[in-house]
Amino acid sequence: MIVQADSLVKKYGGAAAVDGVSFSIEKGQIFGLLGPNGAGKTTTISILSTYLKPTAGEATIDGLSVRRQAGKVREIIGFVPQEIALYPTLTALQNLKFYGKMYGLGGAGLERRCREVLELVELWQRRHDNIEQFSGGMKRRINLGAGLLHSPRFLLLDEPTVGVDPQSREHIFDTIFKIRDNGATILYTSHYMEEVELLCDHIAIMDRGKVIASGTLRELLKMLGEGGVIELEVAPPGCPSGLETEIASQQGVTGVRREDNKVFVSSSNSARSLPPVMKVLESAGCEVGSLELYAPSLEKLFIQLTGKELRE
Amino acid sequence: MRKLGYITAKDLLVVAKDKGAWMTLLVTPLVVIVVVSFALSPVYKGGSLHATLLVTNHDAGGMGKQLTASLAARPNITIQAASDRESETLKQGGNSFGLALVIPKDFSARVQAGQSTQLQVYEDPNSTTSAPFLKGMIDGAVNRFSAVEVAAKVAVAEAVKQNQRADAAAVAGDATAAASAQMSNQPIQAKEQPASGARQLNTFDIETPGFAVMFLLFGVMIGAEGLLEERDKGTLGRLLVAPVSKASIIGGKLVAQFIVSIIQITLLFAVGHFVFSMDIGNTLAGLALMLVATAFTATSFGILLAALTKTRRQASSIGILAILLMSALGGSWWPLDIVPAFMRKLGHLSMNAWALDGIKGIIIQGQGFSDILLPAGVLFIYGSVCFLIGLKMFKLRGP
Repeated sequence: MIVQADSLVKKYGGAAAVDGVSFSIEKGQIFGLLGPNGAGKTTTISILSTYLKPTAGEATIDGLSVRRQAGKVREIIGFVPQEIALYPTLTALQNLKFYGKMYGLGGAGLERRCREVLELVELWQRRHDNIEQFSGGMKRRINLGAGLLHSPRFLLLDEPTVGVDPQSREHIFDTIFKIRDNGATILYTSHYMEEVELLCDHIAIMDRGKVIASGTLRELLKMLGEGGVIELEVAPPGCPSGLETEIASQQGVTGVRREDNKVFVSSSNSARSLPPVMKVLESAGCEVGSLELYAPSLEKLFIQLTGKELRE
Repeated sequence: MRKLGYITAKDLLVVAKDKGAWMTLLVTPLVVIVVVSFALSPVYKGGSLHATLLVTNHDAGGMGKQLTASLAARPNITIQAASDRESETLKQGGNSFGLALVIPKDFSARVQAGQSTQLQVYEDPNSTTSAPFLKGMIDGAVNRFSAVEVAAKVAVAEAVKQNQRADAAAVAGDATAAASAQMSNQPIQAKEQPASGARQLNTFDIETPGFAVMFLLFGVMIGAEGLLEERDKGTLGRLLVAPVSKASIIGGKLVAQFIVSIIQITLLFAVGHFVFSMDIGNTLAGLALMLVATAFTATSFGILLAALTKTRRQASSIGILAILLMSALGGSWWPLDIVPAFMRKLGHLSMNAWALDGIKGIIIQGQGFSDILLPAGVLFIYGSVCFLIGLKMFKLRGP
């Protein structure tokens, strides 16, 4: 494990922005922190980057404590903030050179790394243009590049695609894969589930300062049922209690959850499970008002886990 | 230290490429200094107050002309003849000259006859500078003619007392002529000349230091706003998670701001000196010390401003209020010599007053290096206090 977070807590006044977050990241992994705005992703990444000190808990990066060895941690991490943290009146090259110097680079080594990074983000031809002349997507790419100059072992990316066009997003994704292929470990936060699904080897879903689910994409979707979900809305007065056990025993059914007058049935094969489930409901005298079948997704999982949309 | 230098160099590069900043740092102050200096040049002509007096002379004899000539001989007065119509306008208060003098048509006749006579003086109540000054000049000139009138009266009275049957009018005429001749010789004269070592001032000597100090403060206010902007936009946060000490970050920024302040005030004084012939006094080392002390104190004011405010908008509104208040109290807009004693003391709570005491002492009063050690020392103490408070209070991290 290159990163280990144990019971991290960050409180502002009485309110906990991060409330007992634990996870670990293996070397070479792209680890996704998924959650809506305000879930605690940025606070978590700020603790790992040493920008914030946790109120409680501990985190280590490559064995170094973010609390006690912040200076050493800063030398091996790269941080790409959510904001475009660049100087708009300076050129792309001037910005990169400045940040490179902050990481101790200089001379020919700095020149070479600036060129490599600018070529990686495909903006070498625009190196002498001021940042303020760039599009939003190009600014994001330079913003990413500024965190790569010192070839960090662990890279923290805080919502690096906010506000960019699809083409620039593709560029950023390609760059992230190249960085991973070069041996870096990446922590990627986003509230776009499709990004996390595409990029991440391991995903932790956060809500209200807590990790509410964690695993690979397959493991997470399995929580919904690999074959999808049957969502049934039962007309009042609803179903008698204890019906879930009988539904769960039907063919292919992997899980049942009730929420008011709705019943969510996870299944390994929704089409096969649907007839016996309907039969059970009919036998119990439940009148089904509406029915929906859908494929498993992080979005649906998030709704199942929290009862709200991911983008809220 | 090396990283501190890189941060300083980067900040200087950012300022160098910011055209808007240079407008505030150099162009705006120069425009203001030039406009104010030229606008006030008639007032400060020859280093002292200068005014135009409107005169309507109805006198049929020669004494009205003598009175006018006597006033015109004063170095700080320009006489402008006015028509009857203009006189009427003056009488109704519709003038813009501050003061107008109307000499009656029997002025000579009455003076020569040893009789009392009156001059009409119309004063613009809105004129607070030139009117009192002109009135003093007129009083001086009129006193001489009163002396002539008195001489004539005395001569007639003496002739009557000695039972000389001479013609009283002839005696009065002779006495007037003799007194006038004596007065024109001016047995007692006060000759104006500059004090030893002093030189003729130009308005840029008077206006440049005050406005330069004020715009120096506006310059550091921009620096303070920039610091808060870096905090908001994440560049400061990015530095904080890089292997750079906080001392290097804040030190680099302060050194850059100090250098910008030095460049700004030096360029303003250089333009004042080389383009507008502003005097720079007899001690270049003293002036340099004052400029360094002033730039240091202004930079410290900037960090204090950034520490006391949370956003750019706050820094801007509080900064403008503080700078205008300090400039008004501290003598950036008008000399502290003309304000009441308690206001002068109050003004010395601001850095402007101490900076201007030293700088104007060198430029206007020709003071030497040792004379400005007190204001320079006070500025360094003032700046150090602001610096330490600001440094303690400023939060590098976001709110």
